[in-house]
Amino acid sequence: MLETAWSAASANLLAPAILFFVLGAFAGWAKSDLSVPDQVAKILALYLMMAIGFKGGVEANASGFTAEFARAGGFGLAFSFLAPFAAFAVLRFVCRIERITAAATAAHYGSVSVVTFAAGSEYLRSIGVEFSGHMAAVLALMETPAILAALLIVGSNGRAPGARFQPALWREVLLNGAALLLTGSFVIGLITGEAGMARIGGFVSGALFQGVLCLFLLDMGVIAARRLAETRTLRLVHVMFATAWPLLSAMFALFAAKVLGLSLGDATLLAVLSGSASYIAVPAAIRMALPKADAGVYLPMSLAMTFPFNLVIGIPLYHAAAQWIIG
Amino acid sequence: MHLVQRRKLDIFIEGHALPRVEHMLGEAGFKGWSVFEGVEGSGAHGGWRQTGIGESAAFLVIAIGSVEACDTALDWLADYFRTYPGVVAVSDVSVMRAERF
Repeated sequence: MLETAWSAASANLLAPAILFFVLGAFAGWAKSDLSVPDQVAKILALYLMMAIGFKGGVEANASGFTAEFARAGGFGLAFSFLAPFAAFAVLRFVCRIERITAAATAAHYGSVSVVTFAAGSEYLRSIGVEFSGHMAAVLALMETPAILAALLIVGSNGRAPGARFQPALWREVLLNGAALLLTGSFVIGLITGEAGMARIGGFVSGALFQGVLCLFLLDMGVIAARRLAETRTLRLVHVMFATAWPLLSAMFALFAAKVLGLSLGDATLLAVLSGSASYIAVPAAIRMALPKADAGVYLPMSLAMTFPFNLVIGIPLYHAAAQWIIG
Repeated sequence: MHLVQRRKLDIFIEGHALPRVEHMLGEAGFKGWSVFEGVEGSGAHGGWRQTGIGESAAFLVIAIGSVEACDTALDWLADYFRTYPGVVAVSDVSVMRAERF
């Protein structure tokens, strides 16, 4: 298995997307003036979510509503809601992180990263492993339950006044731009199917998608390196959690995928999703719901540690483990 | 040149608070205000930067109005800042076209 993992990791490291991420990280570390303008980065992020959702919807249209989708979606929902409770226990009692920050961090690790999913999908495509389109819907399902779990963990004392029933918070949780665009694009893909793909397929896939992913990852590399350099409050336990927790979550997801009878590709993506941490949708909601949580802890952990770890090492490792477990 | 004394608030808040703060300013009696989006800066918890991937930046809301409107807004903000990050600066200013404030 180690040989397979090393071979897969080597192939992954030489993919253009990963190399652009490394280039961005180097630019950020070296304090280069290289940067992607904010509004362009937002457009790139919107494009990726639209493309991922739409392609997933088209593929789900072709395969129909399957039992495999129901099982993967059910696991995703349950994992996203329950994982923060376990993560909170480790962060609070092993890492000794203050209660509200621990809950906020746990929410990030229960939720998912769209870009990690995109990189995982592209990795599987590059090595010829098939996966189901409905995994994009599983991604959307796993975006928000973790935020609700964090609110439950903290209880009324640590929440912002009225956070539980504040309309603005619910709007942020359920209608945040990322989740809405992803889900909406999936539904549009589901409705239009192959006819829709024939019209805009050239826009949402192929070389254009690859290029945008490279540009976005270049920007993410710059941001991650800068964020890490600015971090003042992180300790070794934070680093250990940010790298060990994704591994544990991914392994758990793989064994669950085995029990649920998922395919190799779907199992790998489920592991990628379970091992990823949010840095777009959850931070925005947490700022509103748990304002006392320390963003100097949860953002560097998810964005500057877990994200690069998954991108460079995690994805090929999860696939190698999936081959071993799923067969 | 005719100048009139008014009071100015410089309110720094996170993006999610903007609709609530703007609503509050209207209720407090301000006739207008301006909103500026921050790109980067540094505060009590260190540096911050607009990342371009959805992380909300700080916003600066500048509102000029009567002493009464400012006092009403400051009472609201004092309560708001007990929970959420942000600061406010108050200053006396001289304005032209007083009917607009």
